[in-house]
Amino acid sequence: MMQRERQPKFAMISILLTLGAFILFVLATIVDPLSNYSNVLMIAGLALLAASWGIYFIGGRSLQRAEISTENVITVIGCRGCDIREERPFSEGDYVFKEVGPCKKCSGISYIRAIYSIPIKKD
Amino acid sequence: MNIVVVNMVIPVGQGLFPTGNDLSSIILNILWVVFFFSMILLFNQRLQIWTYQRNVEKATIKLQMLADKSREEALKSVQKYAQENTDVRSQVTAFLDFFTIEPVDRDPFGVLNRLEHLLDNRRDRFKAFVAQIAPKAGKAEAANTEDILEAAMALNFIFKVVRHYLILGKKTKSLMIFVQLDMQLPLIMKMAEAYFNAQKTFSAGKPIGDGLGPLVASKLMYGLPKRIIAEDIVCSEVDISNRKAYVLKAEGPGGLLGKPGEAVKRLVEEMSGKVARIFMVDASSKLEGENTGEVVEGVGAAIGDPGPEKYKIEEVATKYKIPLDAIVCKMDLEEALTTMKKEIVEASDIIIEKIKKAIVERTKEGDVVIIAGIGNTIGIGQ
Ligand SMILES: [Zn+2]
Repeated sequence: MMQRERQPKFAMISILLTLGAFILFVLATIVDPLSNYSNVLMIAGLALLAASWGIYFIGGRSLQRAEISTENVITVIGCRGCDIREERPFSEGDYVFKEVGPCKKCSGISYIRAIYSIPIKKD
Repeated sequence: MNIVVVNMVIPVGQGLFPTGNDLSSIILNILWVVFFFSMILLFNQRLQIWTYQRNVEKATIKLQMLADKSREEALKSVQKYAQENTDVRSQVTAFLDFFTIEPVDRDPFGVLNRLEHLLDNRRDRFKAFVAQIAPKAGKAEAANTEDILEAAMALNFIFKVVRHYLILGKKTKSLMIFVQLDMQLPLIMKMAEAYFNAQKTFSAGKPIGDGLGPLVASKLMYGLPKRIIAEDIVCSEVDISNRKAYVLKAEGPGGLLGKPGEAVKRLVEEMSGKVARIFMVDASSKLEGENTGEVVEGVGAAIGDPGPEKYKIEEVATKYKIPLDAIVCKMDLEEALTTMKKEIVEASDIIIEKIKKAIVERTKEGDVVIIAGIGNTIGIGQ
């Protein structure tokens, strides 16, 4: 499984910065007393915009790694002679209907009944 | 004039969008308008190309990473069974570009025979390659190694095609190439990830979702005598409510598909067509919104091969007017290629009950039926 979305936190910060820049631009134009500082405000706004873009792209990229998929694979062991049922983690070489020695309970032939993966609970 | 120019460049005290009536603010406003229009009219497509190109480039880098990793995985699994002092790397890398040319279908007569011939060729070459490069592998390990190579080849191919269109788009500066590529990327990436995860499952030898058919068959035939009736296909006679059922599947636990079509054809011919019904069990791709492990019944040859095996079953069933029953279990591509999920294992028991019920309802005592478990039998013995 790969993660492709940007982290929402970064996107929110980026949007807020852009909004801030926009408000600065509007203030510089509309509010009269501030018009003396319009250059300063404009530069500040542009800096905010640049920061917003930077966060959007860099913040998004840091998540572009493949999750190491560890799946939980279970091997179920049963017996031909009795109804014993035993579960253990999958180990290499296991296959369904492989005979795995005598049964612990009745010393009949025990075999692998099923192999399946179950979803890992995310914490 | 000089003063105007200076004023224009540094509009002190006028704000970003000047509202005054003097010449400099008018010129500044005009410049803004020109700037916006040039952005929208002239550079618009450039900007779009740039955005799409960025997406495609990122995807290509990821695809390359997947292709590289899967090649390393293939090398690792080949190396386990390789003779010492052989140059595995260059041979495997060269083999990943192995291709098959589809037969011409402009003259469709016998196209399936020709396709089958080519597929046989392909499989023989695969087997020969694995036998030569990994001589220490047993039958099952060799079959798994073939599957691992297949997955690496698929990823290699996907990466190369996407890279081709990326470079083509850059060369021609064509927005259409990038747009088309970018729109297909989510599906392409999904497929690539499915193959990548599949390879890990193959190298561990775990059963995959596509193994549902063989699982059903092996549950029916477990403990009974078996015989090989076609290439890589085993068959057992099972008694189900006083009907004689021939159950067949690919020979496990290596990753094999075998030739189930050939097997069904031979069985039916052997009994000169005296078969009451043919049941086929297979995994089927689900639609989004359907549940994994859902069991559905229908009619027809439930087999997803490129054509030849399906054709043989349909042909022999038609020749002797044998009804074809299909029972499938729903799953998506990723689930079919990766470790079998619990829902699918549970579905196999439901399918067995359904088959038994159908046999009682639709055939008479003493009839002969065929039950074919279709799919890749990796990790499933018998
Ligand atoms: Zn026992």
